[in-house]
Amino acid sequence: MNDSQWARYEVFEQERASAPHRNAGSVHASDAEMALGNARDVFVRRPNCFSLWVVPEAAVFAKTAQEVARDDWYTAPAADAPRETYLVFNKKGQPARETFVEYVGEVKAAAPAHALRVALETFPTQDVFVWWVAPERRVLKSEQADAASMFAPARTKKYRMHTFYPVEPIMRELKSAQGMLDNSEKMTDND
Amino acid sequence: MTETEQLQAFEARIARGEKIEPGDWMPDAYRQQLIRMISQHAHSEIIGMLPEGAWLQRAPTLRRKLVLLAKVQDEGGHGQYLYHAAETLGVTRAEMIDALLAGRAKYSSVFNYPTLTWADIGMIGWLVDGAAIQNQTMLAHCSYGPYARAMVRICAEETFHKKQGMEQIIRYTRGTPRQKQMAQDALNRWWWPSLMMFGPHDATSPNSAQLIRWGIKTKTNDELRQDFVNKMVSDFHAVGLTIPDPDLYYDASSGNWISGEINWDEFWRVVKGDGPCNAERLQARREAQENGAWVREALAAYAAARGEG
Amino acid sequence: MNDTLLARNVLALADDSLLLGHRNSEWAGHAPILEEDIAFANLALDELGHAQLWYELHQELTGREPDETIFFRDAADYLNIQLVELPKGDWAFSMLRQYLFDAYENVLLAHLVNSSNARVAEIAAKQRPEEMYHLRHTAHWVKRLGLGAAESHRRMTAALNELWAYALQLFAPLENAQALTDANILPNPRALQTEWENQVGAHLTASALAIPAARAPRAKSRSEHTAHLRELLTEMQEVARSEVYGVEW
Repeated sequence: MNDSQWARYEVFEQERASAPHRNAGSVHASDAEMALGNARDVFVRRPNCFSLWVVPEAAVFAKTAQEVARDDWYTAPAADAPRETYLVFNKKGQPARETFVEYVGEVKAAAPAHALRVALETFPTQDVFVWWVAPERRVLKSEQADAASMFAPARTKKYRMHTFYPVEPIMRELKSAQGMLDNSEKMTDND
Repeated sequence: MTETEQLQAFEARIARGEKIEPGDWMPDAYRQQLIRMISQHAHSEIIGMLPEGAWLQRAPTLRRKLVLLAKVQDEGGHGQYLYHAAETLGVTRAEMIDALLAGRAKYSSVFNYPTLTWADIGMIGWLVDGAAIQNQTMLAHCSYGPYARAMVRICAEETFHKKQGMEQIIRYTRGTPRQKQMAQDALNRWWWPSLMMFGPHDATSPNSAQLIRWGIKTKTNDELRQDFVNKMVSDFHAVGLTIPDPDLYYDASSGNWISGEINWDEFWRVVKGDGPCNAERLQARREAQENGAWVREALAAYAAARGEG
Repeated sequence: MNDTLLARNVLALADDSLLLGHRNSEWAGHAPILEEDIAFANLALDELGHAQLWYELHQELTGREPDETIFFRDAADYLNIQLVELPKGDWAFSMLRQYLFDAYENVLLAHLVNSSNARVAEIAAKQRPEEMYHLRHTAHWVKRLGLGAAESHRRMTAALNELWAYALQLFAPLENAQALTDANILPNPRALQTEWENQVGAHLTASALAIPAARAPRAKSRSEHTAHLRELLTEMQEVARSEVYGVEW
């Protein structure tokens, strides 16, 4: 690997047990274990996080809905080709500002393109405009047993939250005091 | 579809308020403008760690130490999100960093000024992060999905950056004579560089029209700058500080505070590399990169030996 | 008397975390890769936060406020071990120092959560999840630097040869601390050292690093400091001391 910045790993963050894993961004790392730690340090500085997944960018097979509509990306696998679990993600809806690639479920397939074909037959396709599939064996998932050391510390650093700095009441008070001054005081800065 | 039809469809999507996502068709100029803008923004965050980082070891209370370190860490994190957004457009982080270190890429000139006192830290939070928030709030609506999403995350985190700066400066304006003087002196030195953050006047800004047409910007440089001046003059007056602009006046008919003229000679000098700290900033980043080479190589070798990476 | 003795031991814990956090913060903006600018800053924030918890307990015991203790005390009165006042060195040095300290904290905190002193136990419980994460992070790094390449191995070996005897001072107790051990407030330092040596020994060996032969700590007394501490404090206390204590910053 010649890249001075290591490989890129896509990061999926699950905020609560009831929410899907969502692509938060990526981190650069030399291996999956380091990527998981980096993902925690980059993306979980503030609450909430329940689970993190990382997968090398190179292991993600991605197609837009437009690309899927063309017939040039799929060939059927051999009947006896071994199947493995692929995790399926997609991005739905327009023109929402906050649209993320999110986990939808898993399929069994012999190859990435095959996994996408099966995903298209398994999951709703309406309003989906991007699909990603990746083999589960390339996805490193945080352990629930580690949640206390991985995710809970984000809650203790309250100084990262803007509510820790009560400057607004002070400014309002100062300005309303100023407002009681004659309007002509506003005309020039330097007298 | 022909190229023209694709361009029309693309512009229609933007007009409808749709987000352009990685993999979608986009004109090459859109891609290149975004790579330029986003990578510049990312570089600015990384370089921005340096003027404040210099005061980490001298923070005067434990609270201030924690807060400043969290802020500097956030700036690294913001650079990280932005490099990622640029990478979705087909450029690698290694390429972007190489361009920065070779002097081929730009970053916000405001960070080419030195931090001379502790009060600079508070003033940077109030003024510089205040200006950044204004710009970023606008960019959160930009047409390119990954950039907009990065902006939303950054805006949420950046609010404390400004507030911790306000908290400091307010305290110093009510503090000892030395603290009061330090706060005013910091404003004297950071006011004009902050106004320059909004870039050249609209008339001399080559990319503005196209950026607005393609939904990358929604306000012009001068519009953003005027909003900023109005807010900041009102705020600084409230705490008893004087704006270092003898030509500043209030125009009752427009409701705007009208600034004196920016020193455009200084602006272009600093942009082109001749500011007080340009050389020092890039040198620090080059050293970090060079000193870190053996580290990155070692970890790459470890991964390669185990069939990973 | 017990309170004063406990206060000194708590102060020592606070000073260790404070100075290590301070040294780590020097990497922000200068780390080998962006993800480590962020990660190492996290380690520093945690250590400074841990220091804060100990200084707050110190205040409960002595009445002295944390900022006064930190910024208005001279080098001669600091109770940190020399390990944490040393300059940051290269990446191998800083990462290995943090690892040796994290391994110590994990062993120490596992005991302190059972301290007969409720406040000590409470503080240890708060710190433990973060220290577990630290150890995971730094242990991963030590292994990769030890095994990765010839240069990283060379630098790690040099770092370990320098750091080992300084690290041994972690287990040299403050004078009269036996009373606290007898009262089950603090653990037995000999027991801690054995656990620590077993853990780090195994990991360093697995990282192809040879444990140095030194058995004696570089300094026996926590009141004995290198010239680095005065230099560090001069910088750290510069702004705070530009006004009298009590001025708000």
